[in-house]
Amino acid sequence: MPSASDRTRGPGLTTLLRLAGLLVLAAAVLSFPSVAANPFILSVGVVIMSYAVLATGWNFVGGFTGYMSLGHAAYSGLGGYATALLIIESGLNPWLALCLGALLTALIAVPVGIASLRVRGASFVIVSIAFVLILQLVFQSWGEFTGGSNGLRVPRPFGPDVLRPEQHERFFYLHAAVLAIALLAWWLIDRSRFGIGLKAIREDEDKAQALGIPTFTYKLVAFVVSAFFTAIGGGLYALWFGYLDPIFQFSILIGSYMVLMSLLGGIRSLYGPLLGALVVGYSVEFFKNEYGDTQFHLVATGLLLGLVVLFMPDGVIPALAALLRRFRPQASSIREVTQAELAEQRESQESGPITQGAKR
Amino acid sequence: MSLFVQSLVLGILLGGLYALLAAGLTLYFGVMRVVMIAHSAFLILAAYLAWVFARETGLDPLFSMVATVPLFFVLGVAIQRLLIARLRPATLTMMSVLLTFSIALVIEGLLGYVFTGTQRRIQLPYGGADIEVAGVNVAVVKLIAFGLAALSLLALYLVLTRTRFGQALRATIQHPEAARLVGIDTERTAGYGFGIGLATAAVGGTALALDSTIYPSMHWHWIGPLMAIIVVGGLGSIPGAAIAAMLLGMGQALLQIPLSTTWAQTIFYVALFVTLMVRPQGFFGGRLAQRF
Repeated sequence: MPSASDRTRGPGLTTLLRLAGLLVLAAAVLSFPSVAANPFILSVGVVIMSYAVLATGWNFVGGFTGYMSLGHAAYSGLGGYATALLIIESGLNPWLALCLGALLTALIAVPVGIASLRVRGASFVIVSIAFVLILQLVFQSWGEFTGGSNGLRVPRPFGPDVLRPEQHERFFYLHAAVLAIALLAWWLIDRSRFGIGLKAIREDEDKAQALGIPTFTYKLVAFVVSAFFTAIGGGLYALWFGYLDPIFQFSILIGSYMVLMSLLGGIRSLYGPLLGALVVGYSVEFFKNEYGDTQFHLVATGLLLGLVVLFMPDGVIPALAALLRRFRPQASSIREVTQAELAEQRESQESGPITQGAKR
Repeated sequence: MSLFVQSLVLGILLGGLYALLAAGLTLYFGVMRVVMIAHSAFLILAAYLAWVFARETGLDPLFSMVATVPLFFVLGVAIQRLLIARLRPATLTMMSVLLTFSIALVIEGLLGYVFTGTQRRIQLPYGGADIEVAGVNVAVVKLIAFGLAALSLLALYLVLTRTRFGQALRATIQHPEAARLVGIDTERTAGYGFGIGLATAAVGGTALALDSTIYPSMHWHWIGPLMAIIVVGGLGSIPGAAIAAMLLGMGQALLQIPLSTTWAQTIFYVALFVTLMVRPQGFFGGRLAQRF
């Protein structure tokens, strides 16, 4: 009886390829600031990295559990405001404020998670949108504390002698470091027992529960971790951009960018959100630069999201991987297959006399 | 005291409109397990159509419903048959949310593109008129809006309880497999259910255009409260949605006395959180709501 983790090919080559890919990726990211032609390009790079951090943060709950949060802008916004207010009100060190702000946001996410995760998906989505709408209301009206609609100026973490291009470069590396930590955390969870439990919830929550997975606790932990990383991303962005406005911080559009990026790249893959952030972030910045802030963004985002949902719900990476797999020997592992794929396999096995198991 | 009664009457009038729209929203959920985020975007679209109609023809905006209600019904059927039905059943709830969300973004963007973000308002000859009811002054337009909502809800109620189609629809909501077993074409019924849901948005939008200033991004201020209402009432339960809408509408109007308009709106979100903490299936929800 072959075990589920058996592979038809040795792991050596794949691991080597993966390591090489990782090195190339790291080199590309690290050398970007020196290659960037001018400070503007560099600032676009920072924005894209920020999107990548947010989308990867989103993917802790969206990718593992399949619960799509449309209101994750709530946590990036809270992270930004918490960081800014901690610096302004209590004079904390900016980096300490960033970490403390993210922890506070994670703490706020606990009751929200409890309220929204006790039942299945529909309530979760409703709460996720409602939460970002309520935060927008509160932060706009509560003028004396949050600056209200006038916005909030965030003190710079670096002294006045650090010029703007230098700032961009430092923040680019900071974002890259946070992204690396988030990716590492995602990878570790992906390989853990906890991660397997989460993925079981994604594929079939009833069966996962029947197998003894504490579904509610698992979902809640994944949700809080996701809120934490999203808040770090929001806080870092606030420190870089230096200005917060409730309309833009708690905007439905930012939340939908996170979903679109992750979904386009592929929510089941480690690098999916990063790839999505590159594509979507670059196009968003390109259109903003070419056509300014028009309603066209909404239409384009909406159309793209609709197309991805209808025709490519698993994202680009799985689609490309499937294309590659056609040229490879067929894998026999069932570790990473969806219910739909299993059903397909079952049907093809029932119709064909030679099953994959018999081939081995 | 008179301020209290005045607010109460206003709350009831507002609650009527909420009730109609929430009934539509909960209907989609009932027939397809879909949270239709674009519901309020279609509401604003209907309001804009009423505004354009009144501006171009000079007729009363209420007549625009002759066109918008059938149009929205057909659109609703088309959305269900052409888009929602294509999604994989295993991930239907989540993916349909994203799909309807993207429809909402497209509608908002197109409205902003065509009509710009400027706030619009229909000028009516009776726009400023008041009527004294039970000792309080009520704007005529609000009464008309309430009357429209109440009539539509009554019609919806009669269709659901008195016709064969209504029975089929309720059977589809309660147990799709069993409904198929007794010979109901649940696919087609679900499509019509979607159409009816969207038709409520057409009526609601026209009513809204009578006494509100409209702008493209306004639909976010409606979808939040409406979603809260259907959770409080119990997902999929039309009477539950209507009752919750009335109560929360009155609550909002009464809270506007001590608080500002913005803070009074938070009652919906507070009610949403409290409901999910205390009774996640909602207060009037049946078996269906317990699983979502």
